[in-house]
Amino acid sequence: MRPGPERGFAGARSGTVFAALLAVLAGAVLLSASTGPVRIPLERYLDILLRGGADTSARVLLSLRLPRALLGVLVGGALSSSGVAFQALLRNPLADPYILGVSGGAAVGALSVALFLPTDASPFLPFFAFAGAALSALAVFLLARRRGGVSPERLILMGVVVGAFLNAVIMLMVTLSPPGKIPGALYWLMGDLGLATPGRVGTLLPYVAAGAAVLFALSRGLDLMLLGDHAAFQTGLSVERVKTATYLTASLLAGSVVAVSGLIGFVGLIVPHGARVLVGSGHRKLLPAAFLMGGAFLVLSDVIARTASPSGELPVGAVTALAGAPFFLYLLRRNGGRS
Amino acid sequence: MVRSDAVAASPFRRGVVLLAATAILAVSSAAATIDAADRFPLAMRDDRGVTVRLPSPPRRVVSLAPSLTESVFLLGKGNLLAGVTRYCNFPPPAASLPKVGGVTDPDVERIVALSPDIVLCTTDGNPRGKVAALEEMGIPCFATAPQDLDSVFSTIERIGAVLGDASRGRSEAAALRRRAERVRRVAGKRGSGAAPSVLFVVSTSPVIVAGNGTFMDELVRTAGGRNAAAGYFGRYPRLSVEDLVAASPDVIFVAGMAGVERFPEETTRWREVPAFRDEAVYTLDGDLVTRPGPRLVAALEEISGYLSAWAARPGESNSGRDGRKR
Repeated sequence: MRPGPERGFAGARSGTVFAALLAVLAGAVLLSASTGPVRIPLERYLDILLRGGADTSARVLLSLRLPRALLGVLVGGALSSSGVAFQALLRNPLADPYILGVSGGAAVGALSVALFLPTDASPFLPFFAFAGAALSALAVFLLARRRGGVSPERLILMGVVVGAFLNAVIMLMVTLSPPGKIPGALYWLMGDLGLATPGRVGTLLPYVAAGAAVLFALSRGLDLMLLGDHAAFQTGLSVERVKTATYLTASLLAGSVVAVSGLIGFVGLIVPHGARVLVGSGHRKLLPAAFLMGGAFLVLSDVIARTASPSGELPVGAVTALAGAPFFLYLLRRNGGRS
Repeated sequence: MVRSDAVAASPFRRGVVLLAATAILAVSSAAATIDAADRFPLAMRDDRGVTVRLPSPPRRVVSLAPSLTESVFLLGKGNLLAGVTRYCNFPPPAASLPKVGGVTDPDVERIVALSPDIVLCTTDGNPRGKVAALEEMGIPCFATAPQDLDSVFSTIERIGAVLGDASRGRSEAAALRRRAERVRRVAGKRGSGAAPSVLFVVSTSPVIVAGNGTFMDELVRTAGGRNAAAGYFGRYPRLSVEDLVAASPDVIFVAGMAGVERFPEETTRWREVPAFRDEAVYTLDGDLVTRPGPRLVAALEEISGYLSAWAARPGESNSGRDGRKR
């Protein structure tokens, strides 16, 4: 994106914008919670939410639909925040964790543990996905490093190369694995919020909360980084430290999400641009706006994934990519000559 | 520009041609019946509509599918098999026969090296191109495409004729038909009021089930059950846990294949699903239910046994659980 005062709807009206975003997010969660094959009478909702319950309606709502909606919020929000950070860090509007190979690293980590551990490996899966993301992020970072520091161009180039390599590794693992060893791996790779349980949401929450908070704390640094390394340095910013912190936080944020929900592309790419139109490119507003918008976008995509097809569920990654790919092409065309 | 258009058009045109060819095949295979000809030289139409010619009964046969290998052994002709796929594991002697690759990746060179008199293949598993390559090398290929129990039986009859023993083919097929008929009668006696809703699961995480048009759907219906996934479009719909709760199956069968037998704990915790509550979740040998060969009948009998046990379970009044299945 271009540095400078791209303000959009920002300014005095940003309070209204945030209120609207919150309302959309709440609406998306409500829609998600009221959509599904089990019929729950309208008057039961409030009752269940306030008093709980043990009947089927209550259990469907409390242990299937709400965790799924909340997982959508966390995953969409985390991917979008991570995308904002990468785009600022790399000064490239096409950056997102999926394209940079971070998601691929997480997937390889998760698949390795499923393949090579002898017994049921699911309890360790998130941890290894997290480790895979961290390792691939570190690899990209080290590969991109030169005496003069880390240039955004090299970082994105290395990210794309490592990402392509990791995708090949994923394909080999899936093809060569003995049948039944990684059941459902293909579905998980296409993105799946259907694995939501209250426990998984609870596990993911601290990672996402901490990651989003750290990025928010780095807002000012991210703003200055848009001006370019030199200008940022002149303002007294320790550019390399902000870069490293941003890069690792954004990678870990994306990695923890992949562990639970698989590879969901394009959310981290589209949503930051949408949020920038609404609140401008100042990160103190952009990050929370992107989080809310990303959450709403993914929850709504998931509602489509669950209801659009009469033959059961669609992978939510396919739905987000269907919306994301044309947008990506549009961005490429608009930014034709620039790196 | 013009050039790129031409390139873009050709796969599309090829697709249209393929589609037309498939339509013709479907019609012709429906029309294909068993020629009474036991006599050689034999000329018999296969399920592609290709007339396969054999001057004399084959002495060397290669089978490109486990279901075909099982059929050949059923007909007492296992000794003719010169090569099979690496998935052909039944009956036990099949496992030690020379392997010519897999179902989707048969090795043409190995097959040619075995110099078979005929290759038995399928239209929906074996790649068309490989079969065509074999035919170009002068090896006759007999392609089968059974779509339901009846056509499995008639396929066995025709393989009998191709292998030079049409009467054995007829008697084995008749025996299988009688067994299937017995299952139908048992189901009829139970009455439609006692028809449990059944989910046939081929993957437990995520939950993927057998829908309309699958052999498993036919087995369940023949044995007197109702397929709880019939409302979904497509052969193998993917269900969320909530779909599973809403479908509320009385009985669940799992097609046992490495790694899919077990539901995740969080799925089985849904006690409002009668099958989980009553522990009516049964694993069936995946080889039995996914191979369109003679052992489908064994699977049918096993399923029928479980459904009979369900109908006879003590102190149950199946009332109030109907009419809300999707």
